[in-house]
Order: sequence, then structure tokens, then C-alpha cells
Amino acid sequence: MFRHKSLVLLIAAGIVLAACAAPPAPAPQAPQQPAAEPTQAAPAPAQPAGDEPAVAGVDRRFDGVTLRAAFIGGGQYEKMYESIKDWEAATGAKVEIVYKGDGFEIDKKLKTDFAAGTGDYDVVWNHTSFFSQYIPFLEPLEKYFTQEELKDFSQAILKSATRDGHLWLIPRHADISVVHYRTDLYNNEQYKAEFKAKYGYDLAPPETWKQFFDHAEFFTGKEPGLFGTNFAGKEEALSGRFYEILVANGGKMLDENFKPAFNSEAGVKTAQFFRELYARKLVPADMTSLLWDGVANNFCQGNIAVHNEWFGWYSYFQDPKSCKVAGKFDLIRQPVGEAGIRSGWAGAHAFSIPASSKNKEAAAALIKFLTSEKIMYEEAKLGFLPVRDTVWARIIADAAKSDNPLDKKRLEIAQIAIANDFFAPPLIAEWIPLTNILTPKLQAIMLGDIDAKQGLDEAAAEVEKMLAEAGYYNK
Amino acid sequence: MLAPSLAIIAFVVVFPLVYSFYLSFTSYTLLRPIPAWNNFANYQRLLQDPIFGQAFLNTLLFMFVTVNAAFLMGLFLSQALARTIRGQSLLRTLLMVPMMFAPVMVGFQFRWFFNDQVGLVNNVLTSLGLLNGSIPWLVDRWLAMFSIGVATVWMNTPVVAIILLAGTLSISPELYEAADVDGANSWQKFRMITYPLLGPFITIALTILSLDVARGYDIVSIMTGGGPAHRTELLWTYVPRVAIQESKFGLGAAMSFVTVIVTVAFTLYLFRQLLKSRIL
Repeated sequence: MFRHKSLVLLIAAGIVLAACAAPPAPAPQAPQQPAAEPTQAAPAPAQPAGDEPAVAGVDRRFDGVTLRAAFIGGGQYEKMYESIKDWEAATGAKVEIVYKGDGFEIDKKLKTDFAAGTGDYDVVWNHTSFFSQYIPFLEPLEKYFTQEELKDFSQAILKSATRDGHLWLIPRHADISVVHYRTDLYNNEQYKAEFKAKYGYDLAPPETWKQFFDHAEFFTGKEPGLFGTNFAGKEEALSGRFYEILVANGGKMLDENFKPAFNSEAGVKTAQFFRELYARKLVPADMTSLLWDGVANNFCQGNIAVHNEWFGWYSYFQDPKSCKVAGKFDLIRQPVGEAGIRSGWAGAHAFSIPASSKNKEAAAALIKFLTSEKIMYEEAKLGFLPVRDTVWARIIADAAKSDNPLDKKRLEIAQIAIANDFFAPPLIAEWIPLTNILTPKLQAIMLGDIDAKQGLDEAAAEVEKMLAEAGYYNK
Repeated sequence: MLAPSLAIIAFVVVFPLVYSFYLSFTSYTLLRPIPAWNNFANYQRLLQDPIFGQAFLNTLLFMFVTVNAAFLMGLFLSQALARTIRGQSLLRTLLMVPMMFAPVMVGFQFRWFFNDQVGLVNNVLTSLGLLNGSIPWLVDRWLAMFSIGVATVWMNTPVVAIILLAGTLSISPELYEAADVDGANSWQKFRMITYPLLGPFITIALTILSLDVARGYDIVSIMTGGGPAHRTELLWTYVPRVAIQESKFGLGAAMSFVTVIVTVAFTLYLFRQLLKSRIL
């Protein structure tokens, strides 16, 4: 009898485990990758735009053609794909999205498929940080897009999508880092007084990374489950955030000769910044497993006081049905580092055509549709920063009419940030492999497994070896 | 019929193996997929790679613990089930529930269970008043290995239990009746009759289990990705990290071959044990 009971209990426990195994509420995904571009990308308000149809008339040239696509997926990205049926109806072509994943998953998939010669795609998602790896496998796009068609796009972004005299990407939207902070915490009079008493200066949105650290320290534990800040803690995301603060502190990732330079004094200070945040428990312990959607979800749930984020999450954060911080947050430009620099990691999501595509004309037509003013405007309404001047003009006009002043303010901050704070990772094919060497070392430094200097030195040695093998020092 | 079979095997097994073996002697990378012969450089490099060594040891330790834990639990369950008279088929079906989950799903489930902020385990411990704060199950080296181990054991125990149950039910009841006549207690019957006669089944179960755990990529990849900071790196998470994320395909191929050689040696050992137990 006892045996029977034990058995039933054991199996019942197994069933309970299985029943409890409903996956956690999926954190809506959003900007998986930074995006955007330098300098002149500052959206010059252009002509007021009309409601130009995305598909101008019916074009049956591609009747019967099936395009295979690999796109970034999840949350806010999906909205665009709903419009593909309109293009299919107008052209007679079909679009089969054969692969969806986050930016890092697509990167692994594309690299492997391209190298193996099995990448049977016609259109692929791409990114200004990633495309340098795939250039041998991509189709130059200048022959499919006229100057007239390209003139509305940010010329600076198009420039960063151009290598060796060829255009490899057509941008979809852009993004740049911006600090998000909770106004209910920063405007709390009691917190203001406590902060002033403890740190000797007024509590206000962080102007420097030092203040950012103080704020993270101050707010941690102020309310149940509240952490000061969080960062995406793995893959390129962590290396990128490190790079961003490294630049603000006066450091460089690589020097002019492509030698690793991140193990400088500025690099050690930057790594130590992350180490201190982690060691003092000012960030969630599982930060090392978080990517963009994870950190955004933490902020959305009200668990984070202040953190670096992308503009693209805006409509998600402002939705009271999904986010506790809706209406209770504000934005400010990136803090200044020790070198007096504000640095905003930036880049652009984009589309490319693989050289192996058998339907390049149709693929180009689809990209024209997906990056048309109409579709880009719909994406911009979700919070993504557009890459067409006409769309910028439209969202600025919309924001001017909005009841929420942040709708307008965020665009003004974005323009200033893009014009002044922009920096992009080095446009070398080895950027992502470089971050795959650096990130585990940064994690080890954060977790206290290794000293900051030693960790960065070891990463630098490995990176130098990789770049040497790639022939960077033979030139 | 032999020729087509050989051709198919050559195409799907031999060619990829030979080609990847060739790549392991080249500097082939995904960014520059042109194989350039570099002798034993990849093999020399992996021997000097401390992370590879750590992943190797982690894999051995992980296999040792999870295989034994799944075996012991499977053995216990099989014996309990064999003695269950009413509802045995229902219980057998329920026991197979974990086998119906894809390893990727198991990874997602247990990643949520062990999430330090919203996970089931920390919430239950907090509700019971046993925990104040949170335990970083998937960050601490040993806790993370333990968490992955729990998921692996949960998924693999039913396979062992079903195989051993089949073995137990195939043992002639007359042997137990004779033991009853001799006054043997339950433990003596298990030790002197059941366990020895289960020998071949145990070897089969261990072989399947060991190979399954040794290949275990999905659960680890989903729960920790081999991180943070390589803390839960196993061979099969490290090889794709090197080959695909870092693009060093030639080096990754060399690592795969070292791993395959060890796995084949281990499999041969298990098969020898299987043959021995059948002879006995």
C-alpha cells in the first residue's frame, strides 16, 4: 500500500510539474538590435507627405513567383509582415517567411547557410552592425534602386550601408540608445530629500555615468523588487553596452591599426563599472542571461528605476495594458562619461538580397514595398525611428498634435542624439565574432570570476589573434 | 540491395564525417569559407584552450551525475510500477509525459522554474517562508549545473523506467515464488533475482541515457546557453559557440572530432558491458 501511495505521489508530482510548465508570459520582443546612424541622419523635416499608397497600382510582373524570406520576428516587428498580403495581392507573387528569429539567431543562421551554400533566400533581414560579415554573399543593390527612390532615405544611413562602392542594405528603421527613467521615482519628494542627504546633490535624471551609478545604488531596494538598473547581459548586447560607455570614458574598441584597445585604463574602468553594479546587486542577478526583450520587460514591469534603452520600445512602454510604467517614465540623452563624451550606440535594421537569389527583381520590389513611406510610417507609429525624411516629417506633425508631451519630446531627443551622440561599431566582418570573445570575459568580470584588467587583456589577446589570422595586420 | 544501402550510408554518414574531418585540419571560417590547410594547428589550439578543458570536465561530471540520478530514479519507478496492480497502464502512460516534451520545451519550462525573479522555485520557497530574497539558480556555477541536471533527469528518467519495467515484467514469477518459499524478503528478492536479471536492460538503458545526455544541447542551450561566463559550458554548447558564433569552423570541427572519439570510446565500453551481461 505504501509503495502504491509513494508511486502515485511521485507521478502526481510529475504531473504537477508538467502542468505548471506553462511557459512564462512572453516578453514582447522589440528592437533586438540597436540601430541607426551618425551625423546627418538627423531627420531634416521634409515636405509634408501625402498618403502615398505603398503598392502603386497592380504590377503582375511577378505573378507566380515565390519569394523565400528570413526576417526578424516577435512583438513589434510582426506588424510590418501583416502588410505583405497587400503586396502579394497587387503583384501575384507569394512571400514565404521560411525563418524567423531574433537578430542574433538570424545572424547565426545566415552565416552558416551562406558558408554552406544552402541559403535559399530571396530577401533577408540585415543590420548595419552585421552586414559586413555577409558581403561576399550579398547582391549589390544600387542597380535595383534609382537615386530618385533613395533620395528620401537618410543619406548617412545609406552611406553606412555602403562598402566597397556598393549598397548592400535598404534600411527599415533606425535606433539609438537613450536613457529611460521612472518619473514617479524621480519626482518623489521623499526620495529627493533622502538622495540629497546621502549624495550631496539634487536627484535629477542622470547627466553623467557617475550619477547614473549613484541613482542605481540609491533606488535599489527602495520598493519591493526594485533594482537600480539593468543591461542586456549577453551576446553582442553586453559588448555593445560596454563599448558605449568605453567611448564615453575616452576609450576605443580597436585602434587605427585594428589592434584591440579596449583593455586600456578607460576599458578597465568601464568593466569595473559593470562589476560594481553586479557585485552590489544593483542589477538583477540573472542580468547575464537577458537580451533586449528581457531588460525592456523588467522596465515595463516597474522593476527598474533607470536604464539604457532603445526608442523602438516606446509604444510598448506607453501601453497601460502591458506595462506598469505607462505614463510614468521619461527619456533623457545618454549620460556623459569621464572623457566628457555622450555616446549613443546606434544602427539600422535593414533588408538585403542574397546573391544566390533567383528572383532578385521581385525581391527588390518587395523591399521597396516594405520600406515604402506608408509601411515605414506605420512602423514609426509603434515607436521605431524612421529612416525616411518624409516619415520623420509626418511623425513630428503627429506628435505636435498629441496630448502627451513625451510623444514630441522623444523625437526631439532622438534628433539631437542622432546628430551628436551617434557612434556605430567598427564596420568589420569580425565585429560579431569579436563580441563573442569579449562578452564571456565581461560576464566573468561582472560575476567576479576574473579581475577586470586580466579579463580584458585575455580578451584582447584572443581578438588580436583572430584579426591577425584574418589578415588585418598584413596590409 | 547492398550497393544502394552502401551508397546512401556513404552519402549521409561517411561524406559529412570525412569532409568535416578534413575541415578540422584547415583554417576554414564562416566569414571566409575557403579551406586552407593548417596541419594540426586546430588540435594544438584546442588542447591549449582552457574553456575546452573546462567544458570537457563539465560534460563528464554532468554525465556522471545525471545518468546515475536518472538511472536510480528510473529503477525505483520501474520497481514500484511493476508491483502496482491496479491502474498500471494509466500510470505507465502518465510516466511517459516527460518523454512527450521536446527538449527545447523542457529547457523553456525549467528556465522559468528556476528564474530568480519570477520563477516557480523561488516563489514556492518564498511562500513557504524558506527564502528571503532570491536564489540565482541559473547564474551560480553549481546551482546552474544542478538546475540543468534536474531538467535533464526529469526528461530522461521515464525512458529508463520504461526499459527497466519491461525487463522486470519479463522475469519469470516462478523465481519470486521460489524465493518466497525460501523466506526471502523484498530486498533479498530484488538483490538476488531482479537486479542481476535486469543486467542487459540496465546496460541498454544506460547506453541510451548516456548518449542522450552526452549529446544534450537543447536544454543547456535554452536554460543557460553554456553561460554565464562559460560556467555551464558543455562540449556541445562550446562547439557551436566556437564554430558558428566565433565563426571558427575548422577549430569547431576539430573539437567535434575529439568529442566524437571520446563518445565512441564510451559507447564501445558500454556495448562490451552489454555483451558481457548477455553472456552472463
